[in-house]
Amino acid sequence: MSAETVSALVLSLRVAVFATVVNALVGVPLAYLLARRRFAGRAVLDLLVTLPLVLPPTVTGYYLIVLLGRRGWLGAPLYAATGWTIAFTWYAAVVAATVMALPLLVRTARAAIESVDRDLEKAAYTLGRSEWRTALEVTLPLARNGILAGLVLAFARALGEFGATLMLAGNIPGKTATVPLAIYTAVQTGEQSTVLVLVAILTALSCVVLVAASRLGARAT
Amino acid sequence: MSALDVRIVKRLPGFTLDVAWTAGDGVAVLFGPSGAGKTLTLQCLAGLLRPDEGRIVVDGRLLFEAGRRARGPVVDLPPQARRVGYVFQGYALFPHLTVAENVGFGLRDQPATRRAEKTAEVLERLGLAAHATRLPRDLSGGQRQRVALGRALAIDPALLLLDEPLSALDAPLRRALRDELRAILSDWRTAAVLVTHDFTEAYRLGDRIVVYDAGRVVQAAPRSELLWQPASESVARIMGIRNVLHGSVVKATPDRIQIRWRGQLLEAVNSPSHSYLPAPESPIAFFIRSEYVRLIRKDRGAADPAHHMNLMEGAVVGEEDFGTTWSLRIRLDAPGAPAQGEHDLEVEVPHLVYEILEIDRDRRWQFSIHRGSIHVLPA
Repeated sequence: MSAETVSALVLSLRVAVFATVVNALVGVPLAYLLARRRFAGRAVLDLLVTLPLVLPPTVTGYYLIVLLGRRGWLGAPLYAATGWTIAFTWYAAVVAATVMALPLLVRTARAAIESVDRDLEKAAYTLGRSEWRTALEVTLPLARNGILAGLVLAFARALGEFGATLMLAGNIPGKTATVPLAIYTAVQTGEQSTVLVLVAILTALSCVVLVAASRLGARAT
Repeated sequence: MSALDVRIVKRLPGFTLDVAWTAGDGVAVLFGPSGAGKTLTLQCLAGLLRPDEGRIVVDGRLLFEAGRRARGPVVDLPPQARRVGYVFQGYALFPHLTVAENVGFGLRDQPATRRAEKTAEVLERLGLAAHATRLPRDLSGGQRQRVALGRALAIDPALLLLDEPLSALDAPLRRALRDELRAILSDWRTAAVLVTHDFTEAYRLGDRIVVYDAGRVVQAAPRSELLWQPASESVARIMGIRNVLHGSVVKATPDRIQIRWRGQLLEAVNSPSHSYLPAPESPIAFFIRSEYVRLIRKDRGAADPAHHMNLMEGAVVGEEDFGTTWSLRIRLDAPGAPAQGEHDLEVEVPHLVYEILEIDRDRRWQFSIHRGSIHVLPA
């Protein structure tokens, strides 16, 4: 394998792992809120989280540029203050992968949380537990398999992200060129052997992920 | 003062719960058809649902107060602060925790040693010590019930709530566990409110029975009073009493009421607590318990009106086998339409009597009903 192939693989794994961690930290509380709380703006939040699932990834990527680019709503003040922009860094790949993977985790985790019998939570309340402790000790442990299945799917989605990553992070070899982007470049430049190696690795990983997710899903029910 | 003083108004789309009742120590049963608001009441008592207005006092402690008649600012203790144990329908045991962890769940604020002691004590007292490390899914129905009770009782609740505690069980187990539940409740001596739609269960388990119908209380009384003196025809029907009948008053005195019904002149004892004096010719509802109608044996000579009150004659027009008893549908020898569709009276006889009297062959009978077994229902 060439140095570029290896660096694409390492980068992809690093991006996917970070994106999955951020998903766990943001997505699980989000899934709990959507499953258990009624609040103003809930429908809008639900829509925003789910949208990347149906939008073309390039459109999601465009919105991310509008939001985080050097002249973006958040990106411009950040650039003015620090002289740094997230665009075309590997962080941008993490952001793109996170946003694209979030709906998969939130939807799976939310369904798992909703399937937890509410009487169990009510029982915990009458036994003195706050809502927060009840979520940690009762709801989330019982939804664990569904949440893990969601994280596995999110990891797979993050690993394979292409469109939004290309828009926000670009395709810079060794810096933001993840495996899917490297495959695209290799096809364009006719590096047949690189294409085959990377395609085989991604296919194998995806198979492992699917089997893991379905096993977790089966145990959840 | 009552241990429990409850007034709740809760408006929901298409349903309004508006109830007020009190109960002493012991077990109060909320009894009534499904959808009458019994479980809603429990949820309000536990603080899981907020009434629109009302007042809830347990043992002198104000748990909730709000609305126009409130005497002070709104009080609404959260469920965590109420010290109210709740045994859910289906028990709601934590499936990922062992029996001991379930029972000790409400003792988290206590030091670890105290918590372990209390858990062990409750498990011992409920005969669960041998199952401490098992998971709920490995337990029998009866053991689950005891874990649910133990979990709620471990916090030394001021009030114990039980929502249809026996409905998750098969019929044979139900009866055994009903008696076990009764023993545990009387052993623990915690004030309890139990919800059921089964009158036998209500009667076996309750000291006081509060009858619910369509979001209202239609009667609240000690269980024996309810059994013999339902407050109205609708209460009698909710209790599943058969032979709820309509006649007209001939004469009423504080002791007796004469009733004309289906061409018969019936004599009934007036209600001893609320002596009831309707005008002659006014309509009156009454009931005759199907197990209190006597069949007159033909081998003992002719029936004597002096010994057999309210004597009447008729034919068996239908029957149903309930395993240990037969329910006979009787049509009286009287002109006009029968009182209950095709028949006038339902009469329950034990299998043994049915066989000795050969009722399957002999369909015509004389009946008598003691005046004390005809119960008038206030309009």
